[in-house]
Amino acid sequence: MTAPLAEVLDGQHAADLRKAARALLKHPLLLARGRYADEFRLARRHAPELREWFDRNTGWSLQVDAETARLRKIPGVLTDPTHPAREASRRTAPFTRRRYVLLCLALAALERGEAQVALGRLADQIVLDAADPRLTATGIEFALDRRDERLDLAAVVRLLLDLGVLRRVAGEEEAYVAGAGDVLYDVERRVLAGLLASRRGPSTVHAETLDDRLAELVAETALDSDELRFRAMRHSLTRRLLDDPVVYYDDLTDAELGYLTRQRGFLTARINELTGLIAEVRAEGIAMVDPDDDLTDLRMPEQGTHGHVTLLLAEHLAGAHGPVTLDELALRVRELASQHGGFWSKSAREPGMETELVEQAVARLTALGLVSRAPHAVAARPALARYAVGETVIREPGSAPVPPQRKATS
Amino acid sequence: MTVTTSADPASEPDGFGPFAHLTVPNTPLYRQVMQVFLVAKERFAVHLRPEEVHAALPADTRPAEPEAVVAALDRLVVWGNLRADPDNARVTAVEDFYRKRFIYQLTREGEAAEAALSAYDEALGRRGALQAVALHDIVTQLRALLVLAVEDEPDPAKTHLTLDALASRFAALADNARAFMGSLQRTMDLHDVEDEVFLAYKDRLIQYLERFIQDLITLGGRIARLILELEEGGRVDLLLKAAARREAADASPEETADAEREVYERWAARWQGLGVWFISRDGRESQARLLRGRALGAIPQLLAVVRALNERRAGRSDRSADFRTLARWFAEAPDDDARHRLWRTAFGLYPARHLTVDAGTLAARAAKAVPAATPWSGAEPLRISPQLRRTGSYERRGKPRKVEDREARRRALVEAAAKQAAETAAARVRLVTDGVTRLSDLGELDPASFGLFLQLLGDALATWRPGMRHTVATSNDGSMEIRLTALADGTTAQVRTLDGVFSGPDHRIEIVDLTDGAPDR
Repeated sequence: MTAPLAEVLDGQHAADLRKAARALLKHPLLLARGRYADEFRLARRHAPELREWFDRNTGWSLQVDAETARLRKIPGVLTDPTHPAREASRRTAPFTRRRYVLLCLALAALERGEAQVALGRLADQIVLDAADPRLTATGIEFALDRRDERLDLAAVVRLLLDLGVLRRVAGEEEAYVAGAGDVLYDVERRVLAGLLASRRGPSTVHAETLDDRLAELVAETALDSDELRFRAMRHSLTRRLLDDPVVYYDDLTDAELGYLTRQRGFLTARINELTGLIAEVRAEGIAMVDPDDDLTDLRMPEQGTHGHVTLLLAEHLAGAHGPVTLDELALRVRELASQHGGFWSKSAREPGMETELVEQAVARLTALGLVSRAPHAVAARPALARYAVGETVIREPGSAPVPPQRKATS
Repeated sequence: MTVTTSADPASEPDGFGPFAHLTVPNTPLYRQVMQVFLVAKERFAVHLRPEEVHAALPADTRPAEPEAVVAALDRLVVWGNLRADPDNARVTAVEDFYRKRFIYQLTREGEAAEAALSAYDEALGRRGALQAVALHDIVTQLRALLVLAVEDEPDPAKTHLTLDALASRFAALADNARAFMGSLQRTMDLHDVEDEVFLAYKDRLIQYLERFIQDLITLGGRIARLILELEEGGRVDLLLKAAARREAADASPEETADAEREVYERWAARWQGLGVWFISRDGRESQARLLRGRALGAIPQLLAVVRALNERRAGRSDRSADFRTLARWFAEAPDDDARHRLWRTAFGLYPARHLTVDAGTLAARAAKAVPAATPWSGAEPLRISPQLRRTGSYERRGKPRKVEDREARRRALVEAAAKQAAETAAARVRLVTDGVTRLSDLGELDPASFGLFLQLLGDALATWRPGMRHTVATSNDGSMEIRLTALADGTTAQVRTLDGVFSGPDHRIEIVDLTDGAPDR
């Protein structure tokens, strides 16, 4: 028996809406051309619904035009440093101070500039802007005549290319880095115009400390009624549930905790409806977990050497009582290398790599909200206990695998 | 010719001494002093005393001591802008008498320099204005000329004055138009123009362009008609000659004839210029038309600028300033963590991040819900594959397989292909009948030949239509031809093969190898 057509269409609509919402959560800036063209079309088709949902539940604005779909996300917490900008092409090291500054100076120059720009010209303008006394007072300076400086600029430009702010017309960045050529770009003003997500323009903020600056960037209008305060709370909690792996109750204020306790079912159901994420509610907090294992930039468990080391160290941390120092973890990695090293990449087996392996694993676990770190030690957080190694399944030829489920002691 | 290597800056051998006051300290004072002389000259005062100059200087910039003015005047004399003559006026104090006293006046060079400088100022300051009024004036003057031209003997004085006025109005219009086109271009290349300034300018410009274009369309046509009317029957020539005669009358007696011709030529050229401006001739577009095109073209350009401005303000504050502020914040941030936080908050380009869950766990939870008060450690955990736990990979990882040496298999394939080709060729050779034969005479066929034969026969039989007795068919690959003729004698043919005997009604058959070089018929 086939389902009635209306039901099928409704199902299709819901699936498309979910896909579009997930795409926007994963890539808050979608372009009509490029890798995410399909997602863009979905987001554009469902823009009114999505806009309403995000506006009501998170206070994020969604702007969609013929070229771009931009969800102007504001983080639920401003203290999370685990989402750095990274060089686009290699997905390697996070941006450094110089690269961040270069990026902003480049954007400032592009903002003032024409529809096209050459990398050499852009560099000249950056050097001019960098001479601003307020900037030089911080001890930063750019001449862009050294190779490593040009490499920094190339990394910035690659990020801009990846975001779609620039489109390469002719030339190669490598040639520029080598000092042997220039590159010509088209500037996509629409994308550039939507790049900043903050509520207020930074130039209108006059606070002096970073925390004040961040707070003012996202500040809403004065919350002078209970309704507005509740709405703000709903927004911030929904933001955290939508974006962050785990929301721990002890990170919340009393008011937030009270609101979450009362509205938990409502909040998580709304999120589930839109995104398909499922609430894992425990005594210590809530994790919106993803059955598709897709709405994330970091995974656990994960294959590969780093994923494996992370998994093994997570097991160690979960079994430990109290914080473990980084040195102890490094020692543990050395032990593990003797058992499992055969499966690791060659560079990971080299002596002296332990510190870096520990660093990467701890960074990943921290970003996933599974551990918390102090300068020299790491402690498990409650959600780390949600993992355990399954029983070994022995497949014998001819017999169907029987997966006995038993909680393994980790 | 001797090369002068003058070391004296005052002597200024290059003849541009009167401009020297522009490149020294105190230029504003010098220029103001010169301005005083120009103003005085307009009131027909030729000589000025230092105290008069001092008094005439603007109060806010006037030096406290008259001596400073005297010094400035003397410097200007050295550069050649002014001339100093001894002051013979009566004095009332002894010290005045002993003091060296001068009166000053503009030199020709000084005056020329000032004229050049004011032209410079004006050109820079001028936005360029199209003069709709000038068009009206031109019409008026042309009408007057037309009235004059009707007379047999045009009044030379009136003619000359009218033409003169026409020429000067026209010159002003042409100058302004040039400046206008130039300034239009400058405005369109807006780089750092403030929004408000631009928007104000935009409104004025559009109003102005509207009015001017309207005038240019209506009056331009009228002017063109008047010009053509005047030129009809060479009437304008008479007028030009009359004007030229009058102008040349001032020349010295021996130059009169030449002067008259010269002046006439000049007037004729001016007239032609006027014509070119308003009438498209000889395939060249009139200036007026070009100007109209340019003025019209200015509007879309203007709109493009407006669009660019709108795009820039699609956000809120001056975004370039926003980014510069952010650059400073990034530079001032205490550590990398702070910078990452700033990046996340300001740009909001981070992806969502979530933990995973597998279908089995979900199903178990659906079957038996976990109470919300259960701690994570007390709930059924997510099972991680032991394989992943052991090896860091879901796939079983054995030793990497050796890179296979495919040479032997490749060689075998080549051999097989060669063998097959040889068999096919042999089969074809075997099948080819020398001339017409009967099926029953084919005898025994090896499998390859028989396969080929069946294909051919199939191709041939496919062409059979009821009532046909004879057919010719080409094999699918076009390499062979089979000609088949049915026999009426009812005999049966048998073809023996390794797998059995193939039998059917006998036919006359001829098989030709079309790939064989020699034509076979």
